[in-house]
Amino acid sequence: MNDPGRPISEEDLHALVDDQLDRELRPHVAHYVQENPDVARRVAAYRNQREALRSVLAPLAAGPLPPRLDLQKLIQQRLVQRRTPWRAAAAVLLAFVLGGAGGWFLHIGAPTPTLSITLLSEQAVANHMVYTADKRRPTELGADQRDDLARWVSNRLNHKVAPPDLAADGYSYIGGRLAATPDGPAGLFMYDDKQGVRLTVFVLPLSGAENSPMQHVESAKVDGVAWIDKGIGYTVVGKLSQEELKRVAEQVRQQLGVT
Amino acid sequence: MPGVLTHIEACIPALRRYAAALLRNREDADDLVHDCLVRALDKLDTRRDEADVRPWLFAIMHNLFISQLRRARSRPSSESLDETHEAAMSVHADQESGLNWRDLLRGLNQLPVEQRTVILLVSVEDLSYAEAARVLDIPVGTVMSRLARGRERLRQITEDGEVRPALRRVK
Repeated sequence: MNDPGRPISEEDLHALVDDQLDRELRPHVAHYVQENPDVARRVAAYRNQREALRSVLAPLAAGPLPPRLDLQKLIQQRLVQRRTPWRAAAAVLLAFVLGGAGGWFLHIGAPTPTLSITLLSEQAVANHMVYTADKRRPTELGADQRDDLARWVSNRLNHKVAPPDLAADGYSYIGGRLAATPDGPAGLFMYDDKQGVRLTVFVLPLSGAENSPMQHVESAKVDGVAWIDKGIGYTVVGKLSQEELKRVAEQVRQQLGVT
Repeated sequence: MPGVLTHIEACIPALRRYAAALLRNREDADDLVHDCLVRALDKLDTRRDEADVRPWLFAIMHNLFISQLRRARSRPSSESLDETHEAAMSVHADQESGLNWRDLLRGLNQLPVEQRTVILLVSVEDLSYAEAARVLDIPVGTVMSRLARGRERLRQITEDGEVRPALRRVK
């Protein structure tokens, strides 16, 4: 019998139990165990312990997986997020909004807001707040450059769009601008009534977003109506009554929906 | 790629068992496994070798577990050895070994977490010493010494009934 060249250690005993002992060492350790009843008793106890733990804990690995551990579902969720980054952004935003941690405190009046409606209205409200507050220069191009603005915005949005005419509803066109969002450029058209109350029409392409019917959107400062049609998100925002917002939104949809 | 996914899927039951044994709560355990899978999918693109998917997953989960443990230590916990856990396990006495599973689990939970992880990874999850060392990010020698100390301590607890005083305190 070859000498292992060193004393047999506690670790060797456990390696024997786990069947992870070097092949050359095995006979030596086994012999040592045989020769020492106390050691043999302990090794038997370790084996028992090992087997008992395995059988006691085995049920924890059994049973159907809960849905949140379904790997296929997890992968699908990721693919959706990758294909449409705005969806992931909207998920974060939704948590933020519903958590009431600050921001504009959006509350959607419809049953359950889709993520895209939430994102769209958040952007529309943010831009409305920033630009309508500007007394001297609320727009990039004024009412006299309506056609220039239409061309500019249409080019940047890669979608033909022109400021709708809301004169029949008592709102005259002031001008418009290009707005920035996490999902790319948006068009912002601004109007006011005789009292100087301003409203904005916000147009944001959301490729891949599903159609969504008109929904009333509330924030701490201002309300709106949002909808998505053929991959384009629209929002009308202003300090107007719900009925009036709805009426203006219908007008906008009639003029912008048909291109 | 599909091969790796198949390997990951095959590991999920073992990940659940390991997490549940460590956390002593099925819900928390599944949350941990969920986070582990999400993290694994994040890193998936760089993975090539299918052979070590298993230790790789356990390593991801161990890191999540450790950071969770650090957070938990900063706030007081009133949780004792929960009966619900034992009920949820629906375990049965192991006649062949002659060990009382209740004492065994209580004894296991008395061990320092460093020894518990090694015992579970090696005894229950069948990881080699080298794989366990990789999962825990410690030298192989440390794995072996922790295993020896942990098993011996657990043997003493279950044989000498050292678990009893703790048991009375819980009740």
